[in-house]
Amino acid sequence: MDKINFNRRDFLKITGATAGVVGAMRVAKMVSASGPEGSSPYSWAMVIDTKKCTGCGYCTLACRAHNDINPDISWNRVLEAGTVGQQKVYISRPCMQCKNAPCVDVCMVKASYYRPDGIVMMDYDRCIGCRYCEIACPYSARAFNWEEFDGENPAVPNWGSPEVERRPRGVVEKCSFCYHRIDRGLKLGLKPGVDQDATPACVVVCPVDARVFGDLNDPDSNVSRLLADHPSFRLRDDLGTGPRVYYLPARQE
Amino acid sequence: MKTLRFRSLFTKFNAWLAFLAAVIGGGVFAGYIVFTKGLVVTNLTDLVPWGLWITIDLSSIAMSAGAFLLCAAVYLLGLKRYQPVTRTATFIGLIGYSMAMLTLLLDIGRPERFWHAYVWWNPHSLLWEVTICITFYFAVLFLETLPIIGETTFMQKRFPSLAGKFESIHRLAPFLAIAGLGFSMLHQSSLGAAYGVLKARPILYRPDLSVLFMVSAMAGGPALTVLISMLSSRLTRHANVKDELLEKVSYFIGWVLVGYLYFRAWDTLSMTYTYEPGRTEGLSFLTKGPLAFNFWAVEIFLGAVIPIILLLTSRFRKQPRLRMLALALVVCGVVAYRWDTNMAGQLVLLTYLPTEMVTRYASYIPSLIEIMAGAGVIAYGAMAITLGIRFLKVVDHKHGHHTDEAAVFTGETQPAAAD
Repeated sequence: MDKINFNRRDFLKITGATAGVVGAMRVAKMVSASGPEGSSPYSWAMVIDTKKCTGCGYCTLACRAHNDINPDISWNRVLEAGTVGQQKVYISRPCMQCKNAPCVDVCMVKASYYRPDGIVMMDYDRCIGCRYCEIACPYSARAFNWEEFDGENPAVPNWGSPEVERRPRGVVEKCSFCYHRIDRGLKLGLKPGVDQDATPACVVVCPVDARVFGDLNDPDSNVSRLLADHPSFRLRDDLGTGPRVYYLPARQE
Repeated sequence: MKTLRFRSLFTKFNAWLAFLAAVIGGGVFAGYIVFTKGLVVTNLTDLVPWGLWITIDLSSIAMSAGAFLLCAAVYLLGLKRYQPVTRTATFIGLIGYSMAMLTLLLDIGRPERFWHAYVWWNPHSLLWEVTICITFYFAVLFLETLPIIGETTFMQKRFPSLAGKFESIHRLAPFLAIAGLGFSMLHQSSLGAAYGVLKARPILYRPDLSVLFMVSAMAGGPALTVLISMLSSRLTRHANVKDELLEKVSYFIGWVLVGYLYFRAWDTLSMTYTYEPGRTEGLSFLTKGPLAFNFWAVEIFLGAVIPIILLLTSRFRKQPRLRMLALALVVCGVVAYRWDTNMAGQLVLLTYLPTEMVTRYASYIPSLIEIMAGAGVIAYGAMAITLGIRFLKVVDHKHGHHTDEAAVFTGETQPAAAD
């Protein structure tokens, strides 16, 4: 009797210990696996020249049309940011596609994740709509679908036509650097940032060429050269989020 | 005969149940509106995405903390005398966690996807950890409550063998107490840390929130347990208490409050001289701005200072009315603390514009639907506890059925069978 009891207890101990170790290893692997998985030859970035931006808001409208966004939501917002001389200065704010994105860290189901090329993506089929990421984002770049968007999109067709699926009610959405345009363009042999069909819609539509898109890994790309030649800044750089959106300052000439 | 039966329906007990049922009905209606129309019916926005429901959620979890504390005291520290109080605390805990889960289902945008957290793990996310701990702890509370159900005459008569199995779970009590202690301490503090890791919110980004949520729950949880025990012993003959037990627990709560006030004072003081954009404004929002009354009057003075005086002075503590007043104030103070933390964090915004790092203020007042749904959840909790007292005898200190035979860790090893 005693022996059987002892064996069973031993068995339970071993099973428990094994399960514990396997679980701990799994968690350890997940914790260490922060940051992008896999690798990509590209590192996408955007440069916005605040000296050129006139605050027309075309970027917001083109974005709404191409990504089929509810008119109450702006993935890209244009905000007034003081004056230089007599000139008003605008800050146009897409998602910063942070290198250390608070939204990715706090998401409880990994619906926010990094692509190897640096884009912070949303899995709309996985998001449970807890909105923790909205609270965590220092740039208010995220918007929740408070209700179903089932009407016509007023930005279509004047500003473009939808290229991605409309998000359902109850999930958080945000700018994706028009990843679908980049991916499709690369397949067709186009160069994102140079060829319009492979470049984010907001960059293509900008009437004053204030927005530039390209690959930071390519020293000859538009963005690399602009950043090498001009002083630039990033929003709330002090937070250490490492935005992929750079701004050229507006200065009095 | 008929009139007699008719009249017996109009008892105070039935009137109370009818009132709760009406509030629950309103909540069900509000919930239906939320599920059909979406969260657009709330006053939540992209700037203030967490509001009244999160406060109810956080508060009901904090108010359930009596369960793990008393179970640890009885089964791990060997304070057997308090076992009858454990019975009440465990049941309140079970109901509290079910209230939290109900509120969360209302609050998340895709309630049908709640299980995603179990499949796709993000151990970096405090909310993921909270979800996993709450799930396991709910199972612990459920197992801890089964013996209470097994003891009922209904179960004993109708399903004697099942009732026996339920009651036998009681032998696992020390192990459930260990599991409960672990899961509870993890997620009670993680709920504070869920706010504390938000660098985007300068007033919240600090390590003390986890400690403060933990310690305030250690005061609020037992306070609600003792308050409900005292109230029910006065209102119904189905409850009976040993007042000296409740008095001792109240004395303990008084000392926990001293610790809480100590941490709270240093936490507030340490934020005073940071001059960090957003944080200074956040603190003045709390201490001088719109939340000042909540902070000074409800949280600190009525919620901590007065109860400390009432609960640590033997003369006051021995008067049941003053003690009940003190316990009710503790509960209000902890709820106010949850509300203020959530609100201060979201209403004080730091702009990300390069030219001016200025603070902006958002606003939030819950919508009628939010209030109705929230009231419905609270009424559900009140009704469950009322019925528990009436039919499961969860406030019954004379009961003592298991007190002697229950396995208890006394710190000494039990004589082993092999010896």
